Parts: sequence; structure tokens; C-alpha cells
Amino acid sequence: MKSIRNLWLVGAAAALAASSVLLFPGPLAAQDSQRPVFRVKVELVVLSFTVTDSKGRYINGLKPSDFRILEDGIVQKIATFAEGNKPPVQVLDDGSVRPLITAGTEDRAPADAFVGTNVFVLFDTSNYMYRGFVYASDAIADFVRGLDRADSIAVYTYSRNLSRAATLTRDRNQALLGLRKAVAGDDSALYNALLLTLRDAAKVPGRKVVIVFSNGPDNASMVAPDDVRAVAEDEGIPIYVISTSEVNKDPVSAGVFRRISSRTGGKAYFAKTWQKQVEAFESIREDLGNSYTVTYYPAMNPNEGFRKITVEIVSDPGKKYRVSARPGYRPRGGF
Amino acid sequence: MKAFPSVVLACLLGTPLAADEALDQVRRLETRGEAKEARLLLQRAVQNSPNNVETLHAYAEFLEKHKDPEARSVYEKLLKLVAGNSSKAAEISRRLVLLDMIAGDTEAAARHLADYQAAGGNDLTLPKAQTAALENQATIEIPGPLHSFARMAALSPDLAPTDLLPALARNIVTSGYQASSGNEALEQTEYLKLVFRYLSQARELEKLAGPDKVIVIETCESTQTADLLRVLGFRMRGGCGAEVVLETVNATRAFLSMDSGFPIAELEQALRTNRLFKYDFRPTKIPILYGADYWLGGKDKQNVDFIDQFLSDPSLCRLYLGLAKLDRETAEVLRQHVPVQRIRAFAHVLDFFGGMFRIRGGKAFVPGEPRASAAWADLVGVSPDQGAAFYERLLVRDDGWLAGYYDALARIDGPVLEYLTEPARLKRFYGALRGRVTSPGPARPVFRSNTDLMLLTSRLRMDRDGKPHIPGGVEVWKNLFINHPHGKYDGKLTRAASSWKDVDDVLEALFALCRKAVENEPLKIYMALSDINRRRAVPLEASTIDRLAREYRRFGAQYSIFSEAPTLTDKTILQFMDAARDVDGIRNQMMKADVAGSFQALVGLWQIFTRQQVIPPASADAVLSEIITPFLQIRDQRQLFDGARAGVHALLRAAGTPPGASPQDRMIDLLAGTASPADPDAHQMLVSEMIRIFEAQRLVSLTTLFELADHLESVAAGEKLNPSLVSKLASRISEIQLPRSSLSSVEKNAYAAGYWTEKHVDEQRKLNLRALIDRSSRDPGKLKEARGLLAPILRDTLVGFNYIHYAPPGAQVLYTNPLFVRTHDFLGIQGSQQTWRATEVFGSGWPSNAGGRLVGSLASLPYALAEAEQNFLVPSREQALIWGDLVPQMILSAKVPRWWKVTPRQLRWVALHMRVAESALAEASLKPSLREKVLASFERYATPARVRNVADLLQRGDVHLAVEQVMPLELFLMGRDLVAGDIRNHWLPEIRQLASEAANEVSPEAISEAFGTPKPTLANSYHPELLYLRTFPTLMGYSSRIMAESWESNILYFAALAHDLHLPPSQMNLLVPEWTQKTVERIFATHLEDWPALLRSLRVVGDEVRATTRQMMAAEQKASLQ
Repeated sequence: MKSIRNLWLVGAAAALAASSVLLFPGPLAAQDSQRPVFRVKVELVVLSFTVTDSKGRYINGLKPSDFRILEDGIVQKIATFAEGNKPPVQVLDDGSVRPLITAGTEDRAPADAFVGTNVFVLFDTSNYMYRGFVYASDAIADFVRGLDRADSIAVYTYSRNLSRAATLTRDRNQALLGLRKAVAGDDSALYNALLLTLRDAAKVPGRKVVIVFSNGPDNASMVAPDDVRAVAEDEGIPIYVISTSEVNKDPVSAGVFRRISSRTGGKAYFAKTWQKQVEAFESIREDLGNSYTVTYYPAMNPNEGFRKITVEIVSDPGKKYRVSARPGYRPRGGF
Repeated sequence: MKAFPSVVLACLLGTPLAADEALDQVRRLETRGEAKEARLLLQRAVQNSPNNVETLHAYAEFLEKHKDPEARSVYEKLLKLVAGNSSKAAEISRRLVLLDMIAGDTEAAARHLADYQAAGGNDLTLPKAQTAALENQATIEIPGPLHSFARMAALSPDLAPTDLLPALARNIVTSGYQASSGNEALEQTEYLKLVFRYLSQARELEKLAGPDKVIVIETCESTQTADLLRVLGFRMRGGCGAEVVLETVNATRAFLSMDSGFPIAELEQALRTNRLFKYDFRPTKIPILYGADYWLGGKDKQNVDFIDQFLSDPSLCRLYLGLAKLDRETAEVLRQHVPVQRIRAFAHVLDFFGGMFRIRGGKAFVPGEPRASAAWADLVGVSPDQGAAFYERLLVRDDGWLAGYYDALARIDGPVLEYLTEPARLKRFYGALRGRVTSPGPARPVFRSNTDLMLLTSRLRMDRDGKPHIPGGVEVWKNLFINHPHGKYDGKLTRAASSWKDVDDVLEALFALCRKAVENEPLKIYMALSDINRRRAVPLEASTIDRLAREYRRFGAQYSIFSEAPTLTDKTILQFMDAARDVDGIRNQMMKADVAGSFQALVGLWQIFTRQQVIPPASADAVLSEIITPFLQIRDQRQLFDGARAGVHALLRAAGTPPGASPQDRMIDLLAGTASPADPDAHQMLVSEMIRIFEAQRLVSLTTLFELADHLESVAAGEKLNPSLVSKLASRISEIQLPRSSLSSVEKNAYAAGYWTEKHVDEQRKLNLRALIDRSSRDPGKLKEARGLLAPILRDTLVGFNYIHYAPPGAQVLYTNPLFVRTHDFLGIQGSQQTWRATEVFGSGWPSNAGGRLVGSLASLPYALAEAEQNFLVPSREQALIWGDLVPQMILSAKVPRWWKVTPRQLRWVALHMRVAESALAEASLKPSLREKVLASFERYATPARVRNVADLLQRGDVHLAVEQVMPLELFLMGRDLVAGDIRNHWLPEIRQLASEAANEVSPEAISEAFGTPKPTLANSYHPELLYLRTFPTLMGYSSRIMAESWESNILYFAALAHDLHLPPSQMNLLVPEWTQKTVERIFATHLEDWPALLRSLRVVGDEVRATTRQMMAAEQKASLQ
């Protein structure tokens, strides 16, 4: 017979598997239609963030009790807490913690899914990247090799269409095989491809990030950057962008990159040279290894629009630390 | 859920049925579309009486009919059972032989043929195995593996070996060279430069590979490692061992290594683990027509590889391409009689217009022979009896006009061909087409520029009097040419028009206009108006035609609406034109957009309901008229709201909506296909999908809007305000966001696109109905007016219904951009007057805008939506090898038709005809006397080269491959021809029985309606139909769009697939879009005319679906039987 604890774990895994949202047949009727409609309500929010000091150094070792999460000013109860690639812990009502993965359950796939980060690399192979294609590939290869063992990686490439060069795997060689077989393409539909990548990432349980490696321009997308950003925001997926273009060469793209990354809790890097690209990847890797991830079920909130998230560090009354997190989300479903 | 048939239940409960009783019930179940149950019943019957010949025979036939591979093993069992009965044994073994041949199992075929002969059969002979032959054919060598070269040269590795060089030649011709500035010579494109660089690198690697042609790196430290890495453009970072990493040192070389797919990652792993690395680097042999010497002529053959010379000479590539399109016999005669240098100058003409050349017994085929043979001899200057000389002369005449004329006529048959090739007419129309100045010819541009000619000849319609149909009569056309509405079409024709008396005069003018490089408006008008009349019992009156012709430029995109409903009266069509003109006259741009949007959306819904027959054909005209009437005099928003609401009610009433039904629910039900579906589960799935999109677009339900409007009326009459109703709308409106634009104000002003659509959205966001009601509480008049404020919201809801009906599979744009419907731009950029033009995708690819949107009318919404969605498809292999134009047409062919009214008999009809053709092809392989008849049927639909290819395959016994070469449409048509020709075939009795018991269901019209596809360009209509045209090539102005419309195989193939897998036709509504998406994602094409890649993809998807469904079915049936 299954223990209650195991049942809870299965439940939590299922909740995470739905990627922070659950579909349920709500009593909500579509406006005044006589037909019941299945609407989507946010059930579990996954929030990743980093804490740094005034010099930009990561602050590690903070506990769940050090944080206070607010949504539109409403305090939220943290359900799980994880630091870097350490296994997550369940936060109990009294503030104490207990391991989410107990002895004997580590090898179970659903629980295993909570450990490490699912990294989706989206590599621009359009004509815009032609000259830098091989160096970019080298930089991504280095990043893949240097990832924490617990992390999974998927390598997607895009030009006019998306190509899933290597689907999510912990096998670094598989990822490199996919990466090194990328074909140079033609037009660039960055935001279409980013949307599809986010849709794939949203289906995966656990923490995930998308890293876009692009030259910037987009001449074929049908969706706007900020509509794509909204999907990432709602799904709780940080977007990191490494642009191989200089900021002043394409200010519009640079602005878009900055906004979609900061609004989703990621970062934008402008790295024209191979060395800077490697540094950018190194910085992302550090972010992944030094970030905190909490999950919570939102408290009652009548706001169906954008909900502002605030992360406070209660153990830092002098507010010396800086928290980088997505500013909020809109409670709506993924498709 | 469907009730489990009682007969099956009885069987499952263990009540064994007598064999004949079971077979009767099987037939009944099949007729009802319960093939799955029929199969189960047969299986049970066979299980109960395994030695009953009749039952086993019925079971085997059932499996064969459904293309189940198990059929052969059941027939084998049966063969053993009937061993003593020679006639029965002959029948069974004969069937087995044919099935073996279709499956490509020649060994089994030989065995069963021996059984057949032993049982007395003597009409079949197994063809002698011929080495098909790469080693017998001349070949050239390309350094390195094929997959690498294919990646660099953008060739699909799925191409047949003989198709590789023609495909390469085509890529060189179309993408290898470009005009250089300040120089007449052509310069290589980046694509070709990379191919050359790759060849150079491959040769270096070939040297490293040594005499065994295998690159071997034994250890990380070996000297070969450094050599190899140097050639590849990489170096090692870190010493040999676990830390070694390969990184770029020479970007140019490294790019080639990666882009050509050299296994860099595998090499790195081998170095890291100090394991042996081996890579086969043998050169690739590619078949070449006539051998390399023929093509190189006097060039230095010693020092330069053929491939380098070939790539360096685009005219040589063009000639190769042209000759490769000819059938073997024709090409051989031309090669023998025409020196390569002579024909090379006209390679472009041969490439575009030589595909239908056919020399048999030294004589050239000419369209309309034998009656037109002499006329062709006069036109060409050489008799068709001198095959090679005739074609040579045809190619060199008049820069390609005569060859283009020949090609267009060779692709048609029937009464139109007969009419056009009447000798005097043949010459007259050629004269018109050719004109005085022949240069530039139609073969000069990159695409064939004889588009109009091909459309004219293939779409010309004959009246009952045997003359071509001229809409409105000659006078209308005479007046059009004389008093042209927008400037002269052609000075000479205008002068000549005053003396026109006969249909041929008009036709001659149309032929003359086909030579014009500029847009050929009269021909487009002619096509559009002919298509409106095509399905009508009574043609439109001359005065109506005259007005439609004159207003074509402004409203022509809307005429497809009239083509779709043949019962429309002249009065209603003119009423539509009046309303459209009135809308155009509205000065307030916001108001104009709202009126145009609401009007077009209502007409769009009417079109959908008429197509799906939820509005009976008899009332279609009256309903459209009722919709149009209020729009004839719209002055303000309140009138607009009332008019649009009246239109909704007219639609719902005509669709038999019961009183009190929710307009919103009813509308969605009807859009999903039918209000009372036979398969409620499938219908519900479609409905759910539509509701999700409706919600994603934050649209306001019809019910809310109408209730609110009624409530405002009541409040005006003194009733108390219902705040919850008002806040329901307010809450929905609060979800509407302004377009998420990333532009600064300065940038926004610079682009300045979409001003009106943004204003439309902004106005809705600002709408505060509650405040307005409060302000107007003492003025009933103002309160009544307030419902006008709902008009823009109602417009969006109505437009949204059109969008969700045509939403492509995936619908990423509709799910992601919540303003996609609201930002439909009915006005276009200032001055562009796009209100009535075709729908276009606008604004894609600007990172700074609010995403792409659709502009123009809703007339071609299905195509535009599919176009917007196509880049979201994810190719299953290397990217960017699926192409525009074809994909949107495939998507809309899967979304516009609905299969609620299709019957199981119709599925069976299609599948049985395909089975007839397949078995006839197999039999033709074993029986040369039949081959001619079967190929003659194939020749009606395929080019001579394809016919010859299939003939060769049949001759050498490769039936499996031969069947693969035939498109599903061709298979169906061949089946139809062979049935009509009384060919001996075991499916004939069942086909005849179907025809007699359900003549209406299986008539050509019914089959066309059931499995046809919309052809907005070819037939000016979205009405699904089958035109049975030969697949068109790419054409100037349309790229591959017309080719895609002439491709009618997908739905027929899926219909047969549904039949084979015992799926009810209603499931096609869900599965066809899904299968289509998979098909598109698996296309691996080389060029724009590479439809065989599409055929391959279709078959791969079909095989996958078959395998997975059969696996599930087997498990299900095993459980049932236990």
C-alpha cells in the first residue's frame, strides 16, 4: 500500500509536471454561455531568483525562513525551497523543512525531475549568424560540457523554422551530437522559435531556463517579442539572451532582449567575441548554480490580471542585498 | 458513445453464428461503417470454424480490402485448405501472387506463381530479374559521402539516385549564379561558393582517407590527428585525455565541416577516450545520363572532375535538367539526332516546355492528333513524323512561344482539346499568342511565364453547344475591351473588338493577352466569371456580368463568395456589390472598418454555413440577401449593431436554431460542422478547441452582447440597471491589452503602421459603459444609442468566429497574441484601399511591432491564416526544406472541408478504386498484354517520363516501387478508368454493388464534394472539389501555389487510410489536420517542384499511422476475443 507521503510526492510531481498550471474543469462558465468551459487557473507558481550583495557577489546559504514572498502585497506560503542544484525541500507549516526526496526515492523519475535545471539552448543558425556560426557552436559546446551533472540540456536551433537538434537529456554527448549537426539556414524567426521552445519547456517538470544565442534580427516571426515574454513570465521560465551583436548596432533588438530577459528573471549579454560569449555562458552557469527556487500555491487574490511578485529578505533589514526575480505573471494557461 | 452492435455482442458472448449468417452481418456492418466490428465478427467466425473455406475467404478478402498485411498469411492458410479444388486454388494463388508483388516480395510471388500454374493458371509470368542498375549505368564520382554533399548542395538525401544530378542541376540554375554589378558575366552565389569549397575540403579528406577511403585515427597522439584537424579547421584544447576539447581554429573550414555534417562530436569523443575513430569516406557514385563524355564535349576531360565542370556551367545544368525530364525513348532519339551544342542554346525552352515531348517509333506526339498533325507540321515547319527534327524545330522557333503552346495543349484532353486543336483554330490562336515581337520568350525568366496560357487552356469550359463558355456573351466582352474601365488593355485588341461577333474572337483576344508580362486583368476577369457560372444551373445575366467585370479591380477578390453558392440570384449578387460600394463610401475610417469587418464577417459565416450545408442550398440566397439589406444604409454605430445582430439572427434562424437557444453556443456548434452530429465526441473536441481560441482572443460572447443591448433598451424604458451584466462586459474588456509594442514614440511614428487597428483596440479599452449609463440615465434616447458602442465589440466577435473556424493546426498565433483578431486591419496603410482585397499577412518579422496581423478583407482568410502559421511547423529533419505556397494550401485543404456528411460507403469507394489500380499494376507486371492498357490510363494523368519510369519498373517486376511512384489521385483515377473499361478484377462486383445501392453517394459529383480541396486560385472558390488536373509546375506569379492546388492526393489518401483503419468518416475532422501537419513536418524537398518529396512524406505518415493504429487495434481485439 502506498504511504501518504508517497502519494503527496506523486501529487507534487504531477503539479510540477503541469508546469506550474493545472487545468481543471472549473465552475466558470464562458461568460454567460450555457456550455461549461474549461478555464485555466494558476495552481502552483515556480519562482527562481538570485540574491547578490552590493558588489554583485552571490549570497548563498539562505534558508526559506529568510524569505518572504508577496503577490500583489499578499504574503504567500512557500511550498518547496531549493538552492542551486541541491535537492529541494518541503517547507512545512511551522517553517521547518524536510527533504522532498527521501532515501530510496532518488532514482524515481518524478522526484528526480526536481533536481537540477532543465536548460533549453536556442541557437540561431539563420543567415544572420553565418559568420559566427562555428564560434557560437564552440561556446555552446563549452557551456554544455560545463553544466552541473544534475542539469538536463536540450539544444534547439532555428532559422525560419525550429529544429529540435537534441531533445532534453542528461547525456552531454547526445546534446553535443545534436549541436554539431546543426545546419546553417536562411531567414530568422527568433520569436516564433522562442515561443515553441517555451511551450516545450513548459511541459517539463522542475526548474527550467531558456538560453537564446542569437545575432538579434528577426525577419520572419508572426508573434511579437512581448507576447512571447508574457508566455515565459506566466510559465515562470527565465530567458537568458546572449546576443552576438553589439548593443549600438541594433538598439531595437537590444532593447527587446533586455526587457524579455529582465522581465522573466533572466539576463541579457552582448557578447560579440567568442571570449565574451564564453564569459556570458559562465555567468549563466553561475546564476543557475547560485539561484534559489521556491514554489507556492497562490493565496486568494481577486486580481486576474498581472500579479506583481515581490521577494523580501527578512534577514536583511538593511536591504543590502539585491534580489533578481521576474516581476510577476498573469494567471493564464499554457497551450 | 456509439452502442456496441448487438450482433458483435452476441458473438462475443459466445453464440457462434453460421458462416453465411456471419457474412451477411459483416456486409451489413460494413455498410453502416462499423468495419471494426465486422472484422471482429469475422475473426471470431474464423476462430470458431478455422477450416471453413467461405469464412476464411471472406476474412482474407476483408483484410486485403483494408490493406492489412495479414491478408497474405490468411490467403496462404486458405490456399492449403482448397488444395484439392484447382479452380479455387488458382483463384487464391493468383491473388497471392498479386499481393506478393505489391508488397515487393518476389520470392513469395515466385512460389505462389508456381502454385497458380500448378492449379492450371497460365496467364501470368514473372518478369526476369534485371539488375536495376547502378553498375550498368554510367556514373560520375563525387568526393565524400552523399549525405555531406547533399547537405551542402541542398539536396534531399531521399532522392532516387537518378534524380540527384537533375536536382543539383536545378539548384545551380535557380540558385547558383547571380548577375554581378557592372559586369555582364554571372557570378557565383554564396551557396555555390560553399559547394565548391566543400568539394575542395572533401578532396583533402579523401587523400587522408588513403586507398581504402576510410579516415582512421587510431590514437589521439597520432600524426593523422593533427592532419585531420587541420583540414577540418579545428584544434585540440587541452592535452589528449578526458579534458580534450575541439575548438575552431579556421572558421571557414570549420563551417564546412559542421555544415556538411562531418562527425565532429564523435571525433571529439574518440579523442577524449583515446578510442579508434573510423569514418568511411568513399566517394559517391551518381548516375549520369549518357555518360560524362557527352556533356563535356571537347573540354579537357583529364584534369578537371566532371562535377566541377558541371557546377561551373549553368547552361550545361539547364540542358541536363531539360533532358532529364524527357522519357528515356524520347531523350535517346533526341541525343542521337541533335548535337549537344545545338540543343544547348535552347535548353531553357526544353527545361520548361519539354516535359510532355514524346517520341514513339520515331514519330512525335502532337496534341489533337491525328486531326491536328498537319497543322502542327505547318506551325513547326517539320512533320511530326520526323520526331527528333520536329522537336528540335519546335524548341528553336520563336523563343519558346510555340513550345509553350504545345506544352499547354499537351496537358489537357477531352472536348476542350478537341476544340482548341481544330486545325484552323490551332493556328489562329497560336498567331494571337505569338504576336509580332517574340522576345522575351516565356522561358526566359526563372519561372515559366506562360501561367495565363496554362490557366486558360486547362480551365476553359465548354457549353452544351460545344463552344467555349463566354460569361455574359460576346457583347459584354466587346464592350469591356472597347470601354475598358481602367485604361486600355491593348490598343490593337481595342480596335479589333468593335468587329467581334463570335466566341472565338473573344478567345483569340484572351490568347493574345496571355503573352503579356504585365498583369492580365481580362483573363482574370474571364476566369473568375466563368467560375461563378460553372456550377450554376442558369448563368448570370449579361448585365450582372458586365458590372462584375467592370468592378473586378475593386471587388474581384470577393467573387469567390459567388462561385461557392450556385443558387445565388443576380439580384442578391448586385445587392452585395451595392453594399460593398456603400461601405467604401463611408468617410469615418473607424466606422468604415467596423462596417466592413461586420459585413464581411457575416458573409464569411454565411459562406461557411452554406458550404457545410447547415443552411439548405434552397435558402442560401434569401439568407444572404437578408444579411446584406441592413448594410445598404448604415449611418451610425447603432444601426451597425442592429444590422449585424439581425444578420446573426438570420444565420441562426436559417440553420434551424430552436427558440431560446444561446446564440453563442449555437454559433460555435454550427461552426464546428453541424448542430446534431452523428459523432458527438468528435464534435465536442472541435467545439472545445474553438472555445479555447475564442477565450484566448478575449472575445465577448454573442449572448453577453445581445443581452446587454436588450438591457440597455429596457433601462431606457425605465427598468432598473443590472450592474452584474454591465460588469461582465467591463471585466472582459479589462482583459484587453494594448498591443505590446516595443517601439519608442519616435520609432512608432516612423513605422506608423496599424494606426487604425490600434485605435480600434484602444477605444474598446476605454469603453466605460457603466459611466455612460449613469451619465445618460435621464435621457432614454442616449441610452438607446449606447448600444452602438457595442458594435466594434460585436465586429470582433463575428470576425473571431471566422478566424476560429479556419484556425490552422497548432494555432500558435491565435493562442499567443490575444489581439490577433482585434488587430485585423480592414483598411490597410493609408491610400492602399485594401478593404475588399485578398487577405494578406502583414508585419511579420519586426521585432519592434505588435506581431504580424492580417490586412484586407476576409475573402482569403483561410489561406492567410495558414500562411501565418506555417513557420511554426517543426521539420522533423534538417530545417528550412519545406516551402511556402505549398504548405498553406495543404493546411487549408485540411481545414476548410469538413467530413460530417461523408459516408462509410464513400470511403470504401475510394479505397476500392485504389485497390483496383494497385492490383492492375501488379497484374500488368506479370502480364505484358495488360500493361499497355494500364499504362494508357496512367498516361492520361502523368508525364511521359513518369509513365516510362513506371513501365520500366513493371517490366522488371518492381511493382512495389511502381505503385509508390503513382500519386493517390492517379491511383484512384486509374481505378476508375479500369473499372469503366471492364477490366477483370476481383473488386469489380463490390464496386458495382456499391454503385447500384448508393448511386448518389458514389457519383463523381458526390465524391468530388466529399474528398475535394478548395482551389481559390485555380477555381476562384473555396468550395472543396476535385478537378482531376495533371499536377502543375511552378508558375510565374504563383510560385508553387497553383501546383499545390492541383495536388489533390492528400485527402483521397487520408480517406483510404481512414477506410483501411476502420475509422468513421467523422474522425477525419480531427485526424486530417493532424495527419496533414505531420506530413508537412516530414517533407524533405529539394526544390519548389519536388512534389515526390511530398508523396514520400504522405506515405511515411500513412505507414506510421497504420502501424500504430493496427497495434492498438490488435491489442483491443485480442482483449475482446479473450
